[in-house]
Parts: sequence; C-alpha cells; structure tokens
Amino acid sequence: MKLKEFWKRYFEHPYGVAGFVIFAVLLFMAIFAPLISMGKPNEMSGDILSPPSLKYPFGTDHLGRSVYSRIVYGTRVSLSVGFVAAGLSALIGIFIGAFSGYFGGMVDEVMSKIIDSFLMIPVFFLILIIVAIFGSNLFYIMLVIGLTTWPRNARIMRAQTLSLKERAFVKVAKSLGEGDLRILMTHIIPNGMYPVVANSALQMGGAILAEAALSFLGLGDPNITSWGKMINEARTYMAFAWWTIVFPGIFIILAVVAFSFIADGLQYALYPKLKEVEESG
Amino acid sequence: MSLVKVEKLRKYFPLSKFRRGRFVKAVDGVDLNVEKGEILGILGESGCGKSTLGLVMSRLELETSGRILFDGKDLSGTLRLNTETRRRIQIIFQNPYDSFDPRLSVKTSLLTPLKIHKIGKNDEERLKIVAEYMEKAGLIPYDDFLRRYPHELSGGQLQRISVLRAMMLKPDFLVADECVSMLDVSVRAEVINLLLDLVESNSTATMFITHDISLGKYVSNRMAVMYLGKIVEIGKTEDIMNNPLHPYTRILMSYSPSLFKRIERIPVEGEVGSVVGERKGCYFAGRCPFSTKACFEIQPSLVEVEDGHHVACLEVEKQL
Amino acid sequence: MDEVLVIENLTVVYTKNGKRIKAVDRVDLKVNQGDMIGIVGESGSGKSTLAHAVMGLLPSNGFIAEGKIRLLGYEITRLNDDEMRKIRWKEFSMVFQKSMNALSPVHKIGEQMKEAVIVHEPEIGETEVESRMKKVLDMVNLPHRVLKSYPHELSGGMMQRVMIALALINNPKFVIFDEATTALDVVTQGQILDEIKNLVERLSLTGMVITHDIGVVAEICNKIAVMYAGRIVEEGPKEKILYDPLHPYTKALISSHPELAEGGGRMRGIPGNLPDLSKEIKGCVFAERCPHAEKICFDDRPGFVKISGRKVACFKIKEVEE
Ligand SMILES: Nc1ncnc2c1ncn2[C@@H]1O[C@H](COP(=O)(O)OP(=O)(O)O)[C@@H](O)[C@H]1O
Ligand SMILES: Nc1ncnc2c1ncn2[C@@H]1O[C@H](COP(=O)(O)OP(=O)(O)O)[C@@H](O)[C@H]1O
Ligand SMILES: [Mg+2]
Ligand SMILES: [Mg+2]
Repeated sequence: MKLKEFWKRYFEHPYGVAGFVIFAVLLFMAIFAPLISMGKPNEMSGDILSPPSLKYPFGTDHLGRSVYSRIVYGTRVSLSVGFVAAGLSALIGIFIGAFSGYFGGMVDEVMSKIIDSFLMIPVFFLILIIVAIFGSNLFYIMLVIGLTTWPRNARIMRAQTLSLKERAFVKVAKSLGEGDLRILMTHIIPNGMYPVVANSALQMGGAILAEAALSFLGLGDPNITSWGKMINEARTYMAFAWWTIVFPGIFIILAVVAFSFIADGLQYALYPKLKEVEESG
Repeated sequence: MSLVKVEKLRKYFPLSKFRRGRFVKAVDGVDLNVEKGEILGILGESGCGKSTLGLVMSRLELETSGRILFDGKDLSGTLRLNTETRRRIQIIFQNPYDSFDPRLSVKTSLLTPLKIHKIGKNDEERLKIVAEYMEKAGLIPYDDFLRRYPHELSGGQLQRISVLRAMMLKPDFLVADECVSMLDVSVRAEVINLLLDLVESNSTATMFITHDISLGKYVSNRMAVMYLGKIVEIGKTEDIMNNPLHPYTRILMSYSPSLFKRIERIPVEGEVGSVVGERKGCYFAGRCPFSTKACFEIQPSLVEVEDGHHVACLEVEKQL
Repeated sequence: MDEVLVIENLTVVYTKNGKRIKAVDRVDLKVNQGDMIGIVGESGSGKSTLAHAVMGLLPSNGFIAEGKIRLLGYEITRLNDDEMRKIRWKEFSMVFQKSMNALSPVHKIGEQMKEAVIVHEPEIGETEVESRMKKVLDMVNLPHRVLKSYPHELSGGMMQRVMIALALINNPKFVIFDEATTALDVVTQGQILDEIKNLVERLSLTGMVITHDIGVVAEICNKIAVMYAGRIVEEGPKEKILYDPLHPYTKALISSHPELAEGGGRMRGIPGNLPDLSKEIKGCVFAERCPHAEKICFDDRPGFVKISGRKVACFKIKEVEE
C-alpha cells in the first residue's frame, strides 16, 4: 500500500532517521521510567550537589535528588505535554479545516476569519494569563497550547480539502450517494491529514519548549517533575554544579530537535520534490 | 417525455476571487434533451465546456442559471438530491486512478455504493452482485482483483471497474467524460464495449463526452458539437457525419485524423480560447472562413434543418 | 548517401531497483533519405527509448547494451558526450511531447532560439540569426511577435510550433517527432501535421514520427514500423501496414481503432498486457496475447521474413495470412 512507500521515503531522509531514533529513545525512557531510573525522582539523599558518578550518572541537585532519575521521569511530562497539546491542536485543526474547506460559502468565510484572528494570538502570553488566573496545572497548560495552536493546522487542512474536493474520487463518491459526513470522514480527512501530521510533529517540539519555558519562569505545575523546572531550580547552583543545568538542557534540546527532524522527514516523504507546503487557501 | 431536459443552462466561473465582475462562460445557454436509452455524444475541443456541462447535468456542480428536469422533476438550483435520484444519475471520469480513493481496496470501493443504496441484503449477497459484474468485465478471478488497491491495477482494468461501479446501481442517466482518452488504444475497446453492453442492457441514457470524432461516431446514436459553451450542431450521428452543416463541425471533421478518408482540410485561423464577458454575434465568427458581417452582430440559435438535425449558423439558415 | 539512419541489432537496457529492463531488444531499422517513418505501438513498447538512443539522450540509468547506430554517417554509439553535443540539434534534432519543460520559463522565446543558433555557430551575425528565426517561424505559421513572448504566454499549440521551429533552426537533416502532437486539439494537431508534411517536402527532411496514434502516422508517414515490447514486429510502406497488416499484433492494433468497427460491428481490443520487460523473453514477444500462437512461438524468436512488400517477424505468417 501507499503507506509503506511513505515510510520508505521517510527513512531515506537522514534527519527523519535521526529524529526517529532520538524519539524512540525518549519514548523508551518515558515508558520504562521505573525500570531504568535507578531510584525515585524525588528521593533525597545525603549527597548534595555531587558531580556525575556511577551511582548518580548525571550527579545530584541541591536536595540530593538524582538528576538522572528526574530527567528520566521528566521525559514522561515532556512527551505527554507534546502529545496531548499537539494532538488536541491537530484534532481541532483537522475538523475545522476540513469542514470549512468542504462546505465553503458562509461557513468557510466565518471560519477563515476565526482562523486568521486566532493566528494573531500570542500563545505564550495567553498561557501566562491563564496560569495567573487559574493557577498552574499541567492539564491547563496542555489544554491552552492545544486550544490556541490549531489554526495553522486548520489552514493546512483547509487547503488540502479544497484540492481533494476537486479530485474525481470525491466527486464520484458524491454521485454514488455518499453523504457529506461520510465523504469527509472516509475520503477527505484520511487522505488530506498527512501534512497536518507533519506540522504536529513540529508543534510537539513547540509545546515541550513552551512547558519548559513556563517551568523555567517558575510558573510550571508545582506537583510535577519537569525538565524546565529542573533548570529553574538549578539557576542558583549552576556556577558550581553545571550538571544540574546542562543535562536537563540537553534533553530539552534533544526533544525539540528530534521533533523538528521528524517533521523534516515527514515533509520529505510527503512532498517528493521538496516543495514547500502550500498553506494559503 | 425526455429523461433529461436542460433549458438555457449556463455555468459561469469567476475569473478570479477579486474581480467578481468577470467570468469564463464555460456553459453558455445550452438547450438539450437526453432521451431514455439513447447514447448522446458530446463533441468538441478542450475548453469548450463539455466537462462542465457533464458535471452540472450530473448534479455535481451548481449551474449559474437555467433549468434541469430529470424524469419530470425539477433539479435546478440544488445539489442536494435524495438518495434514489442520486442512484439514478451516475458519472465516469477520464482518469481511472483519480476516480478511486487510493486508500481503499477495490472491494471496499465497490461494496460501499451497494450498501448505501440497500442493494443486496447482506455483504455476501452484495459480493455476489459484484462478482457477477466483475466477470462480465472480464476481471477474472474476481477476488484477486477485489483484494487489490487502485494503483495495483492497470488503467484499463481500473477503468472497467469504474464503469461497473457506476452501472451496478442501474442508473437511468450516465455521464461518461472522456472515459477512455487516457488509455492505450489497445485497451480502449474493452472499456467501451463493456460500457456499451451494460448501458444497452439497462437502457441507460448516456452522455458520452469525447474529443475523438471517430470514437463518438462509433459509440453514439446522436451527437452534439460544442463550441465555447454552446451547442452549434446536434442531430443523429449519421446526419452529422454524412451531412455536417455548421462550419465548425465541418472544420473539426476535416482535421480529424483518419486511417482512410482524405477530407479536404478547411483552412481556419486561431485557437479555441474562451469567452469572457459580453460578446455579440456568433462565437465562431472570428475564425470562420464563411462568416459575414451579420455573423458578428447576431447570435444564431439552433434551427432545425432536417428531422432532428439542428444547426446554429446564420449562413446555413439562409440557405433553407 | 541514401541511408540516413541505420540501426543494427540495437539493445537498450535500463537498470531500476536492481532490475534490468530491456526497453529495446535487438532492433534493426533503416531510414532512407526522404522517408518519414512512423514508429507505432502502445505505450511502454520502447518507442521513445529508441529515439533517445538515436539522439544520444538516454537517461543515466539507460545504456546501449549492444548494437550500432549510424546516423548521417556518424557512428552515434562511438561518439563521446562532447562530440555528440557538437552535432546534436545541428545535424539532427527532436521534438518532444512535453515541450513546456524543455524551455526556460524566465527567458523570451527569441533569446532561447538565438542561443540555440549561437551554440553551433558562434561567429554568426545578428541579422543572420534574426532572419533565420523569422524564417523558421514562418514555416510553422507563427507570428514573429512570439520571439518577444515568454513560454507561459503561449498556448499549447503555439508552444509545440515553437519547439518545431527550434528543432529546425539549424537546418538539421534528420528530425524525430516524439508524440509531438499528442496533447493537442484535433484542429491544431491537423494543422501542425500539415505543416510538418510541407516542411518534409520543402526541406527534403528525413525523419521519424513516434506515436501511439495510427491516425497521425496515416497522415504524414510513408513508412511504418510497428513496435511491441522492445521489438519491431512489422515494417514496411504505410499502405501495406495500414490496409493489409500481416503480423497479428499489427492486425490487432489497427482493428482496435474505432474507425474499423463500421457497420454495427464491435471495436476489438487486445486482451492482456505488455509482457514484463525485466524478464528474458525467449520466443515471440506477442505470443502471450496472440490468438495464433503455438509452441514454437513461445520457444524461438521469429526473424524477419520479407512477404508481400514488407518485413514481418512471425512464425505463423502463412496461417495468419489466410
Ligand atoms: N472549476 C473551474 N474554475 C474556473 N474555470 C473553470 C473551471 N472548470 C472549467 N473552467 C473553465 O471553463 C471552460 C470549460 O472547461 P471544461 O468544461 O473543462 O471544458 P472541456 O471539458 O470541454 O475541455 C474552460 O475555459 C475552463 O478553463
Ligand atoms: N528512465 C527509465 N528508467 C527505467 N525504465 C524506463 C525508463 N524510461 C522508460 N523505461 C521503461 O522502458 C520501457 C519503454 O519505455 P518507452 O521507451 O518510454 O516506451 P514508449 O515511448 O513506447 O511509451 C517501459 O517499460 C518503461 O517503463
Ligand atoms: Mg474535459
Ligand atoms: Mg514515449
């Protein structure tokens, strides 16, 4: 099938392969955290700010917690922020874009206006406000990111829908008696959503970065161990305990880079001639 | 009563989003009847509006103005048809690979329409119907083809499947838009003959759109020649072929490549182009070697010259 | 020099995904001065590959595995790239179907035509180039103003005429038309075919017309070679091939034309598909689809037999003729 060819092309791309490998490692860490974390993330020991060693591969922080274990558990937070936020964004974007492009007319005019105005919202600023009002909670953060970044996806999906609508198989489907909803769900969305998926990979990196930035500013969810929060806490000690800040930093960068590589690979697999995504409708 | 009756049908496309006042007149005042069981050929060069006419008449595209009556019912102004009417009108497109959802197996693509129209009680029965048609189409063993995806079939095989997909629903009206022009000459016959067999046994009225005169002649009982959104000549196939009257029809025939006949070419200037905005007179006058001053002023309408043979040309009218 | 093009035992192979596709399989062909030979056959039969081999324009994954091509006295298979570049487009040239891609979209037609002349004649004067460009445009019935146009400003028919003009600008002696009118409308195609016919007479051009449409060949060729799965199966004067075909494939190809289904008869197709060219075919390439095939047809490759004014490669020709 076509999917096989798609992945074949994806793995031809060196960035695609690299992104996938890093992602696989991170995913492994997240899933098997209890098995590989060499201790609990919040367990305090007497060894305060001790440098990397066999016992503490990435050293310990100011409360004697293993930086390595905290990073391993932090992977869970980062990946779930990425998945939930980008997933929500993709879901909303796909449906709004597909409906708007498929039905056209007034629906489309109104939707396009909404999409355009949403695109102007400074997402991070909005998150700050939400956190200020409702307090910091990882769930809110994921929700806000998802609810504010969908317009890009909607635009991509709308453009896809407009071109799919002209394809003979969609016209045939209509003539064969398939209803609009069925056409959307079985033909338009499954055939048109790949560019949105590619964009979502990019957005996952963005969401991870946003959460890290928030935590770095001290506005993260206080009940959760995240990479951003580790950096925030390490600020005071970084001058004499570099490991407290360098390792979480490396992982944030790794995750963001991995997702952007994956997005590159997906783009390449989608557009054989390395064309830019046509976004505008 | 005609099965399909089209009156003053127009379809204009805006030239661009920003200049709403300007239009391409793809279909520009077409009057047409399609009789039950007949095969009507629509002939013309690319851009003359054949496909647009087909899409509008099969209710996949909304007209700008005019009326469409299907079996006495007025279908104008809406694309929302009830399921039964949808079943009765089917269409086949030029590119078989584009006519199937690439993600779905042939089986899924064939069973879905039967399910929608409640043909066959269960999947088993439906599969039997499909198998029957597949065998008629020479796609044997059928389950081998049903398992495959569109890109795993040759163009000729896939186009035969798109013919049977439409005909399984036993439509009363079928639009076939250049349904073999993408295929190799050697496989065209299989598709055309299957189409003719199914259409004849079900007495489906068919609008056979083509730019190929010899194919149109082979397939159709009646023929209409289009030029820039208008029908310039229509009549029985023999009449059109043996006694073409409109200068454009005659020119078209004189240039059509033929294995046998050497027809004297009628010299003609320019290319088809398109009509944008208002234009007086006959659209062909500018290229017509026989045009007079009047042709640039007065728009000719279809006039009956012999039984069922209509021509839209002032010069032909004069000679009546 | 009577024989303009001599192809001997030519085999062209493409390598793709580790497979060897034999697109042209031991083809022999001669084209004499003044001939316009039509190469017909369904798509994938190797017509374009044959043309590209003659022009020395095979893609990087295609190569001549064996055989010789002598064109206008040049041993094409022995020349290197530089030597080919000097004579290609000057001594012989080609017109393609997808002409849009052949020209640069950002330069005017006139500049590109001028360039085509200067490459081969750097010393040539400005006025001489100008007059030559106008002359070829006249030949294809194009107004001189197209020299100032960009490719996208022209219609399909005009672009195809520009390509023919470009192919003729250096007065070549041999021209290949590869599906040169396939994408065009009936009237435009007919007009261009007329123009080509006139040019052939006026310039005493020799050439090759590649097409899947026997109607086109009937219009402008005097000879026809029928190609199937990389081999020429029948070759001879147009009238013989069109009106009295002998090879079962030629017969089938011609009777699949709707014009031959007169009098209420049905059009006849050719059941089956082209054989897989990456597999060695021992016998006749058409045997799989041939109604007359017997054991020998699958086992041995038929050679050419001269029979009633043409050459045919078929074992069963006696039976077929009856
Ligand atoms: N969706 C569309 N939007 C704008 N113009 C169109 C559209 N479809 C067709 N046209 C224009 O309408 C004219 C008729 O097109 P078409 O019906 O496709 O002709 P044909 O099928 O005879 O080649 C052409 O000038 C074409 O460019
Ligand atoms: N660049 C290429 N690489 C691999 N195979 C090719 C290439 N070009 C053509 N072929 C194969 O060679 C055969 C002959 O092709 P071609 O010469 O284009 O045929 P025709 O012009 O008669 O349609 C086909 O099977 C085709 O798939
Ligand atoms: Mg069309
Ligand atoms: Mg070719």
